[in-house]
Amino acid sequence: MAETKGVLLPAYVVADESGSMGPYQQELSHGLASLCEGLRAEPMIAAKLRLAVLGFSDDVQVRLAVADMRTETTLPQLTIRGLTAYGAVFDDLLSRIPADVQWLRDQGYKVHRPVVFFLSDGQPTDRGSWQRPHARLTDKSQTPTAPNIIACGIGDAQAATMVKVATRPEFAFVAKAETDIGQAISEFFHSLTASLVASGHALNSGSPQLVVNRPDQFTMAIDEV
Amino acid sequence: MTTPSRGGAAGPPPPMHPQVHAPMPPPPESAPWLRIPVGTPGPEFEARPPGQYAYDYPDTECDGWSTPDLTLRFASVRGAKHRYYRQPRQDAARAAAHEPTGAIVFAVADGVSSAASSELGAVEACRAALERLLHLLSRGPERVDLQDVAHHAAQRLRQITRWRLNGKDPEPGEVAALHATTLIAGTVRPDRDGCLVELFRIGDSGAWTLDAGRARYAPLFATKTGSDAVVVSNEVAPLPRVPDPLEQISVRLTEHQTLLVGTDGFADPLGDGDGQVGALFAGQLAAPPPPLWFAHLLDFSRETFDDDRTLLAVWPRTAVRPR
Repeated sequence: MAETKGVLLPAYVVADESGSMGPYQQELSHGLASLCEGLRAEPMIAAKLRLAVLGFSDDVQVRLAVADMRTETTLPQLTIRGLTAYGAVFDDLLSRIPADVQWLRDQGYKVHRPVVFFLSDGQPTDRGSWQRPHARLTDKSQTPTAPNIIACGIGDAQAATMVKVATRPEFAFVAKAETDIGQAISEFFHSLTASLVASGHALNSGSPQLVVNRPDQFTMAIDEV
Repeated sequence: MTTPSRGGAAGPPPPMHPQVHAPMPPPPESAPWLRIPVGTPGPEFEARPPGQYAYDYPDTECDGWSTPDLTLRFASVRGAKHRYYRQPRQDAARAAAHEPTGAIVFAVADGVSSAASSELGAVEACRAALERLLHLLSRGPERVDLQDVAHHAAQRLRQITRWRLNGKDPEPGEVAALHATTLIAGTVRPDRDGCLVELFRIGDSGAWTLDAGRARYAPLFATKTGSDAVVVSNEVAPLPRVPDPLEQISVRLTEHQTLLVGTDGFADPLGDGDGQVGALFAGQLAAPPPPLWFAHLLDFSRETFDDDRTLLAVWPRTAVRPR
């Protein structure tokens, strides 16, 4: 096997596009733009990341395919539509992540365990049926590329649900009750950028953990359960 | 100013070798002293100084010398990430000649970046390991207790943490939070049958034998980048933790092999050694290069590989002569 071209961290931003997010579309757009700008401002970090943006509602639609943000020129745009089917997300990731990892490996890269940043403002409309694909996705024995999932809930999303979605309790956050949802979305993307930059610093450096920064207007969901 | 001495306790210097005996490929095509690109290079920029109190950790260190039987080179260079973000080099290496046995003792350490003063931890772990290796070799040269060496290095980290905490006995977590580091250390001893290498490691640094003629690297420890795991992990279990049993290796160097010991900053881009980085080093290390050139080689530029790099190499002098 030839030498590796690098070791990459695949990062997925999975954003809720359901109807209730409609009033906050501008914050979502601004947040995505600041995320892209933030990574472009850190080319040494961005070189070690590959970013994908997925919008979910009744299904999952790709807003940005796994991209090198140093050279990516398009800005991902989210589209408000439909309900909040969590199951669609985890079904999609079950096939998408292994395929993306294989693609990166075929390009000559080694791959760190992928990370998913999940943002939702609502309870799942598909009730509990999302938990089966979620369990399969996060079980390393069934899915060797099982991602770390960081879950951020705003609006109607409940802390207990975020704890179930996140792969560790300390990876689950909910916006504080008094927080303006638009502001919470901005904070989510701000924190996401900081987490990716900090994780980029940690890559290849012997530091053992994914770095997850708590958004300012959020509390750890475990405190709320 | 001291006057250089000749002879003394170490005996006469090894004979000079006016000619290069081993074939040496031409250096890579780049302007002198610009970083050597390997594949796609990383960004070029002037290094920024580390924090003002990090003056004990220069950007680059290198060393090189020979005993009658062995030739040593090592270098430790600050990675692009630390150069850009104003952090000191957190790798360290040290080596010494044990004169009664003709052995070389060595240590290489990689400070864990999440530890607040890992650069000090790395240097102190190397120093402590060398002190103990030299002591044990003098006491009983037939066998060196590497577990003892590892515990001695861990104890040093506890001591410097205690000093930092104004005398308070530190918890293991406090030692790790300030001074956690990987460590790989051991001896190369000439004997009647050639060269015996004994070493241990704590953490994810690596060691290889290099058969330069065949450009073949044989890892002495399992390598994280050489595995076929679908996803790679950078988790390490560093000092002050000393695993029991300790990961130890004993190997004989043939006269055509070079011992390489390096941190993951070298190991990761090397991979299995059959790519461009492996070819560069196999070509350039066919014979011991000048120490400054050795450090220059190690400071190659390859996109995404921006960690500190440290590499130590030992050649038996029966086969090759220094350039």
